[in-house]
Amino acid sequence: MNNYKEILKTTLIGFRPDFLYRNPILLITEISMVLSIFAILFNAAFQLTFSISYQEFYVAVVLLLFLTIFFANLGYAISEGQSRSIVDSLQKFRKESTANLITSEGTTVVLSSTLKKGDFVIVNRGEDIPMDGEVVEGNAYVSEANISGESRPVLKVLGDSVTGSTHLLTDTLKVRITSDPGETFIDKMIDLVKKSSRERTPNEIALTVLLSGFTLIFLMVVSVLYAESSYTGLVPNLIFLIVLFICLIPTTIGSLLTAIGIASVNRMSSFNVMAKSGRAVENAGDIDSIILDKTGTITMGDREAKEFYPASGISAEKFIRYCYASSINDQTREGMSIVKTCKGRLGDIDAQDFKDYEFIPFSAENKYSGITKGQDYVIKGSLRALENKFGIKDLSIEGICKQISSTGGTAIPVAAGGKFVGVIEMTDMLKPGIKERLELLHKMQIKTIMCTGDDEITAKQISSEAGIDEYVSNSSPEDKFNVVVNEKNKSRMVAMVGDGTNDAPALARADVGLAMNSGTPAAKDASNMIDLDNDPTKLIDIIFIGKQILITRGALTTFSFANDLSKYFVILPAVFSSFSFLSFLNVLDLTNPLLAITSALVFNTFIILVLIPMALKGVKFKPSSVSELLKRNIFVYGIGGLILPFIAIKLIYVALAFVGVGW
Amino acid sequence: MSISSSSGSGSFWAPFFLNNREVSGLAIIVIYLAIMTIFAFILYPYISKIYRDERTFMTPVTDRVYKYVSKVLGPIAGKDMKFKEYFVSLLSFSFFAGIVSFVLLYYQTFLPLIGGGQQFSPSLAVNTVVSFLTNTDIQHYSSPLQLSYFSQTFIFIGLLYIAPISGFAASMAFVRGILTDKGHLGNFFRDFTRGLVELFIPLTLLLTLILVLAGVPETVTHYLNARLPFSTNLMQIPLGPVASWDAIEQLGTNGGGFYSANLAFPLANPGWFTNLVLFTSETIIPFASLLAMGKVFENKKFGNLLFGVVMIIFVFVVLLTYFSEYSGIPSMQNIAGIFTGNMSGKETRFGISQSILLNVASTMTSTGAVNSALIDYTPTGMLGVLTGLLLNDPLGGIGTSVMNIFMFVIFTAFLVSLMVGKLPEIMGIKLGSKEIRYSTLTIITHPLIILVPFGVAILIPSIMSLFINSHAQNITTLLYEFGSAASNNGSEIGGFNFTAFFNYVDAATMLLGRFLIIGLELLIAQAFSVKKARGESSNAIQIGSVNFGMMMLFVIIFMGILSFFPILVLGPFFSFAKDFSLVMFP
Repeated sequence: MNNYKEILKTTLIGFRPDFLYRNPILLITEISMVLSIFAILFNAAFQLTFSISYQEFYVAVVLLLFLTIFFANLGYAISEGQSRSIVDSLQKFRKESTANLITSEGTTVVLSSTLKKGDFVIVNRGEDIPMDGEVVEGNAYVSEANISGESRPVLKVLGDSVTGSTHLLTDTLKVRITSDPGETFIDKMIDLVKKSSRERTPNEIALTVLLSGFTLIFLMVVSVLYAESSYTGLVPNLIFLIVLFICLIPTTIGSLLTAIGIASVNRMSSFNVMAKSGRAVENAGDIDSIILDKTGTITMGDREAKEFYPASGISAEKFIRYCYASSINDQTREGMSIVKTCKGRLGDIDAQDFKDYEFIPFSAENKYSGITKGQDYVIKGSLRALENKFGIKDLSIEGICKQISSTGGTAIPVAAGGKFVGVIEMTDMLKPGIKERLELLHKMQIKTIMCTGDDEITAKQISSEAGIDEYVSNSSPEDKFNVVVNEKNKSRMVAMVGDGTNDAPALARADVGLAMNSGTPAAKDASNMIDLDNDPTKLIDIIFIGKQILITRGALTTFSFANDLSKYFVILPAVFSSFSFLSFLNVLDLTNPLLAITSALVFNTFIILVLIPMALKGVKFKPSSVSELLKRNIFVYGIGGLILPFIAIKLIYVALAFVGVGW
Repeated sequence: MSISSSSGSGSFWAPFFLNNREVSGLAIIVIYLAIMTIFAFILYPYISKIYRDERTFMTPVTDRVYKYVSKVLGPIAGKDMKFKEYFVSLLSFSFFAGIVSFVLLYYQTFLPLIGGGQQFSPSLAVNTVVSFLTNTDIQHYSSPLQLSYFSQTFIFIGLLYIAPISGFAASMAFVRGILTDKGHLGNFFRDFTRGLVELFIPLTLLLTLILVLAGVPETVTHYLNARLPFSTNLMQIPLGPVASWDAIEQLGTNGGGFYSANLAFPLANPGWFTNLVLFTSETIIPFASLLAMGKVFENKKFGNLLFGVVMIIFVFVVLLTYFSEYSGIPSMQNIAGIFTGNMSGKETRFGISQSILLNVASTMTSTGAVNSALIDYTPTGMLGVLTGLLLNDPLGGIGTSVMNIFMFVIFTAFLVSLMVGKLPEIMGIKLGSKEIRYSTLTIITHPLIILVPFGVAILIPSIMSLFINSHAQNITTLLYEFGSAASNNGSEIGGFNFTAFFNYVDAATMLLGRFLIIGLELLIAQAFSVKKARGESSNAIQIGSVNFGMMMLFVIIFMGILSFFPILVLGPFFSFAKDFSLVMFP
């Protein structure tokens, strides 16, 4: 109930001229309303006819003009209300808590708001994470339900970012704080939502100029009409001309323009995506190529060790022990999954023989991980990396790898003591529904490029299975950047998803960079959108929303102007009703001039109300090629915009006459 | 009838065309349009070379001429100009020429070769010089009687070249801005020299030769004295460099005639052949320039699209005018038993079809030359001729044809892109808000500079009392006057006295219609000049596609309807309804 009051209040406040100056069309509508009230009050000075039926007509006109502004403000107020409720819900998260700050003398308990960038804190099980930061030690499950709405706890490991006011469910984490008070993620999100309702995109500005230009022309047209009809000896009725003017100027798009912009950012928020600017949302609609990671986007990502293939001469048990040993300290998802599957096969494994081995973590340059002691290595990684490292080659291992790749799995060969000891098969299933979504991208003629660190065969297999246009296999993060630059050079608009620090340059270069909330702070900084749910496939939804906002604007603009023709044919015959010659223009046969003019104004006013839901939700958008979409939209909004008002005005006229408005 | 009986086997068509004048008129229209198209196709590869800054067989001559020009101009001749310098060069060059012409014209009675020259009033001199400077050529004076030979030769022929070629230079800069990404627009003086030497001198020489061979005088003799049969009066027929004047008048889409009667005068346009030649020569460069855009931007479809969109408007207007004139109005048909269309004000040597073709081509381009009296046209026929002016000469003038149509391309691309959910772009160049803002301003400037003076003039009774016809006819005439000035056309209906008010207001309108619009267009070119055209990607708006063309056509026509419908209702529509007594609900 409170909400409705709030919306009503915003709507009425919107009548204040200092609120309207940003929207020239509405301001002019209001001026026209005031002018017509003035003219009616001093009707003698304006030579207005003032019979009873005319008086009723004047009152109706003033009411309808009032409603025009009211409906326009209503659209704005509703979208504002939506974004305010988003801000409110965000603000609830911004709660004060305590933190265990690590100082030189141990830990002290301080208020979370006193933490600064670069501080280290310990978060224990059951506590809230005090501020945005990065995990520097330990791994634990964190509930991010209050931000993303996802109830499943998320595993945070070394290097992952954690968000302030999320809840630690297990274990203990050491966190390095990465933002100062007032600059946390939630603070930024609140700012973004607030800002996006005020900031206007270049496109919106251009459209406003266009609409104002036309308004100026119509102002001149109506003034000339006034001059011209007095020249021909007709005493023009000022109110008629004001109505004509209001009907001609693009009130429909003019009044809904702001609401469309705000609503689109709100829609993004309801998808749990935070856009850093309205411009980023618009860019999203224009994407030509999208660069997707294989893992986590196209495939399930949580790759599981499925099968162990020992090399000839190695027993299965021994091979599994090697696998276990190479992964025991490995905190990557693959590593943990290998350990889990090994345990599943052999129960608890005794790894005492590898106790004093040193762990080599996985890195994008090396492309392997494992353990080492002196010259002894137990290492798993990409086939090529291992071959290069040890200068070995094993045809049967290569055969197994190929076999695994060709079924879409990932092969991880393991080498120990200078030779291959076997291959681990990691399964990597396509995400459910990803194929259908990629199909939609195809329909919109958007090129999909998959980047994967996997070898050629796996990449090919997965991309043909999922319907990807191009793939880059054996890719490093630098390659991703190169792909972005390459596409940009072909003057394409590029979108990409990333979460790692080494994705940051590519994210910054891309037109739309979507970072995962779980990603590193660097990636989040470089991107222009952040997905709270960590679902890379959302990029597709974002493209949809971006397209919708542009289409909504374009469609309403075309519709608005197409409407004008019918209004000429309704209002001009009414204005010139004393010239019987010109009755051939009265194609709708509206014999009562006052009623005809009122009908046109009723249409003009209520079309705004009818279109508010469309402005807030976006026009219906069926993914299809550019030319099909163009054909369809020209037909619906162009031709439809020409014909609809003729029918609607005639119907309104008949309806008004039917209920007994008989001026 | 006599023809059909006298000849044998080949005799079917002659009487057929004689008895079915409507069909023969249409046949003539088809022939004219076909010849126009053929010549545009012949010329466009050459023009596209100039636009692409490639060398032609005339380029060595340009180089040599430009060496001398450089000596006069100094270092500025070799400079790559940005918007500001380019536009300032264009403006100062034009205004320098304008001021010199004004002085010479205003004081022509003190100069040699006075001939029949008379003193110009200040307003008339301003109006005349501005109109020749802006490629408009409204002639409020009586030509050639009021001009001295000196003015005729040195001032006017000069301006007839300067106006179109500076427009052409501007369009070269505009195209360069889109095509390259060097951040500058080229050099105005170099572009001007190139347009003069490589395009205008060869074409005008060729055309003059053709016209002389077809019987148009080219002489420096004084008036010819002739005595008509059965008359004692001596008739003075002015002669002069008519053929060369005709040539640049038409090729440069100027339209200002050597004679006041313009191309209706028998010595300027003796017969069907010269009429066809003059018709083709006024449309050839604008049409070829549009086609050349396909080659310039390596997108043949785009060139064809521009050609197609303009051609559709052209053909529609020709047919509207033709059928209006052919069917006349009811009161005419009642006069005589046999009716062959509205021949009033038309030369018998041209007939209806050839008269309306030249007039429509004149207002579709920014030429404005006429070979018949527009004041005698039927209301809808007049509407047809007026359409070109209200749409800002869809085919355009020299150079402006390319720039003006690009404004609609940008504007349409903006709307269309939004409608398919893309950010606006043409030819791989993203359109920023700057480009869209300026193109919108250009598009709305045209109706505004017509509507404002129209609205002012019609409110002043002393001005409207100059008009002698019915209210509706006067509204049409007034709209035509300002439409002609705003679109730099120069065509006129006449029918009222050109007072100082009209001289000055027209001059202001012409200046805005020319230089404000060129300035805005060059600003767009400057905004483009830092971005490189990369061609269309499959995912972009296909600006050569049929859908885009339809939308653009719709935008152009709709823009005209929205801006001028109320005036047209009380003007031509009113006259039309009155003539046809359209009273549905008495």
